[in-house]
Amino acid sequence: MKKTKLVFSLVREQSNFMTTVMSILTFLSVLAFGIALAIGGGVINWNNQWEKYATVQVTKVDNTKIVKKVFETNIDKIESVKEISKSEMGERMKPWVSNGAKLNDYLPQMFEIKLKDASDMKMIQEKISPHAKFLTHTSAVKNSMTAGLKLVGITIFILIIMLISIGVCVSHISRNIAMLHRHELEILNQVGASDKFIARQMQLIVGKISAIAALIGFTIACPIISLILMTAHSARVGLMATISLNGTDWIMLCVLPILIVIFSVYITKQTTLKILSNK
Amino acid sequence: MESETVISFANVSTNYDNGHDILTDVSFNIGPGSFYFLTGPSGAGKTTLLRLIYQLHKPTRGHIKLFGQDCDNMSRNDISLLRHKMAIVFQEYSLISHMTVFDNVALPLRVRGFAPDKIKKIVTKTLEWVGLGKFANVYPLELSGGQQQRVSVARAIIIQPAVLLADEPTGNLDDENASRLMELFIQMNKTFGTTIILATHNKKMLETYKFPIITIDNRHVSFAKANTSESPRKWKGPQPQSQNYFSEISKQFENIGNS
Repeated sequence: MKKTKLVFSLVREQSNFMTTVMSILTFLSVLAFGIALAIGGGVINWNNQWEKYATVQVTKVDNTKIVKKVFETNIDKIESVKEISKSEMGERMKPWVSNGAKLNDYLPQMFEIKLKDASDMKMIQEKISPHAKFLTHTSAVKNSMTAGLKLVGITIFILIIMLISIGVCVSHISRNIAMLHRHELEILNQVGASDKFIARQMQLIVGKISAIAALIGFTIACPIISLILMTAHSARVGLMATISLNGTDWIMLCVLPILIVIFSVYITKQTTLKILSNK
Repeated sequence: MESETVISFANVSTNYDNGHDILTDVSFNIGPGSFYFLTGPSGAGKTTLLRLIYQLHKPTRGHIKLFGQDCDNMSRNDISLLRHKMAIVFQEYSLISHMTVFDNVALPLRVRGFAPDKIKKIVTKTLEWVGLGKFANVYPLELSGGQQQRVSVARAIIIQPAVLLADEPTGNLDDENASRLMELFIQMNKTFGTTIILATHNKKMLETYKFPIITIDNRHVSFAKANTSESPRKWKGPQPQSQNYFSEISKQFENIGNS
């Protein structure tokens, strides 16, 4: 027995148009969410990369011994201490100070330390700070991290706009279906259909459109996100090179289209019940 | 439900969107098991009266009671539950063109949450006794007018309603098929106590069947009693054994609209 369970029928053109619009919105949502997660991950990686490092600048020669003593007494907490030689410093500063011989007289004595645990940073800083300038690498790269977090904020804002657009679009689709199918609505009223039954019929249509759109949008978005990550990694250095998506991030990306479908179905129900109550 | 009046109108008025009155100050009571003809000139408000009873149209003034329940402040959900005891048949069939005959007839059962296997059983039986068994997978537009009307009637009576409203159901049928359909309605009324209000223009029908007549003229409603002494019957409710329900009235449907 051939059965048609949906009372509302969509012609192919309507259905294709709605699926296309929803696919684009789902694609942009997944893309925005993917970029937000990748930059967020990058910022965390970038921060983790530098949080164990600090540079100590000893400007008074007399304090060198005291600083070295602090290193020795805390050797169990320090993974490595690297003294940066004056020739190395000169080499690094060459672009700004040319080759001046007098430079050596003004250069401080510098150490780059790496701690075993980032949580010891504050304690070491407190012990060294009275005798030398103590600069954590995290604070040195703070600007790039702030910029990264701002980018995460912007992409999340774009994601929210996309979700609002999906809500408006789905609401419009429901209204459109109701408007195009007044005859069917009248018949449903005649046979005693409750508003919930009618809403369920709408939910089935929109759910089907959203599910196909979610699949299309996600399928297109994934390779593009991978391409963005590969391009960023080709920078090799800096925050951009650290952006990435781990397994959990990919699972979250997979969940987003499912949530969009659930959200669409929910909006459809609310819109339909509202339309019917205003009839 | 067991109230003495099934349909009660008290000073009901209604108007068009432009403010012109269709019906003014209409009051009447209809008891269970009654059979009324509803007549009047075109545009007098017959369809509006049926739509008011079926709660598809709201009165601008007055009160309507159905099965003893006041409909004034009924929620949409309450109205849909009320319609589970009622059915309406229109002249223009009101079928869904993209759904098969089977699905059209099955619709009232689906909205009531019947199980698919039960729906299949009842619909198949219903279609058989309206003589459309082999048209189950056909779309309404592939059927003749008479056949479409039979689908519409099958959809209305499949729920074994307590009240059946029919808006010129024989308007598109020839005399023979019209009288067969009338016999079916009479059988439903006699056997199951279904209250029936049937709107018609057909004077021959009004003269042939001696049922009381509700006449709408100049926005007012008047009643003319029938010449019969039959006492009103009480609705017996949906029959648990659908087989009996269908077999009792099945004979009336043979060949309607096949011509």
